[in-house]
Amino acid sequence: MGDTDGSVGHDRFVRHVPADTQLTRGEAWTIGFTYFTLAITVSIVHSTAGTEPWVIVVATLMVNSATATLAYAAVTSAGGGTVAGVASGWLVSTRFGLMAAALGPRLWPSRWKRAIAAFGAFDPNVALAVREQRDTDVRRVYVSVTLWLVLPWWVGAMLGILVGEQIGDPQRLGLDAMFPAMFVAILWPQLKTKTALTVGLLAVIVALALVEPSPGGLPVLLAALAALLAVKDAR
Amino acid sequence: MLTWGVVVALAIGVYCQRLVGAIALDPARLGARAQAVVNHIPIAILSAVIALQTLSSNGELTGDARIFGIGTAVLLASRKAPMFVTVVAAAAVTAIVRTLA
Repeated sequence: MGDTDGSVGHDRFVRHVPADTQLTRGEAWTIGFTYFTLAITVSIVHSTAGTEPWVIVVATLMVNSATATLAYAAVTSAGGGTVAGVASGWLVSTRFGLMAAALGPRLWPSRWKRAIAAFGAFDPNVALAVREQRDTDVRRVYVSVTLWLVLPWWVGAMLGILVGEQIGDPQRLGLDAMFPAMFVAILWPQLKTKTALTVGLLAVIVALALVEPSPGGLPVLLAALAALLAVKDAR
Repeated sequence: MLTWGVVVALAIGVYCQRLVGAIALDPARLGARAQAVVNHIPIAILSAVIALQTLSSNGELTGDARIFGIGTAVLLASRKAPMFVTVVAAAAVTAIVRTLA
């Protein structure tokens, strides 16, 4: 299971892109930029729904999931109750638990380090980390990309509160296409094998088939089961 | 509208899911088959999220300007364009189609 000594001393203060990994400077900057703009739009949505500025800042820092807070906002603004809103927020963020599970076996053996690392499990940092061959590189890339997305994410959320009214409708600028486009750029190079391609296609079909009949979050959760197709690859 | 209580409830719930995920799987006891499945989870989740954020809004299937934006992203990514170009072009195409429509 690779090396598990966790010797990442020279990267203890990762401010840059770790050397000798597949992560490029361009990817790191793009992820930072995308999360920065995403955070601004999320702040605007919450401000519009009447949330106090300080609550938005703390929610950004502590919940660490726009998916969850936006699901809550969508349910409650459509007339749903607080409990239904929170339940919906939990359900849509189950995908971060799955991403953490995909990363888990390659993280540090120490449970404390894993517990701290879990807080920042998003999609891009896990997806970019697990493509590394060596476990030490997985950890370096994970820590680096987490910083590259979380810091702009927090700054963007605060900026969104301050300048939200000047920007107006974020959809007019096509900002809602940035997030899926970033995922396309991350995903495409990983679809090299037939199994990966089949898993991806099946996940798309399951998600689209379930989006209308089932509550938010469930389509992604069940689409993740497409990964079971990879069983036949193992020998 | 988010309140302090809601933020605390969401923060605890979301973190617990991440925590369980990160410490649930013991690498020493994970077989080759389980490892292969776990390795493909990010691919399945990213694919599903792309599909939903391109073709649905608030739990309903929709077709709008985003299709052109993400289509552009797929084209650029398949030509190995830098990620920044892919992301900005997707937003620009979506914005232009939305303005024209």
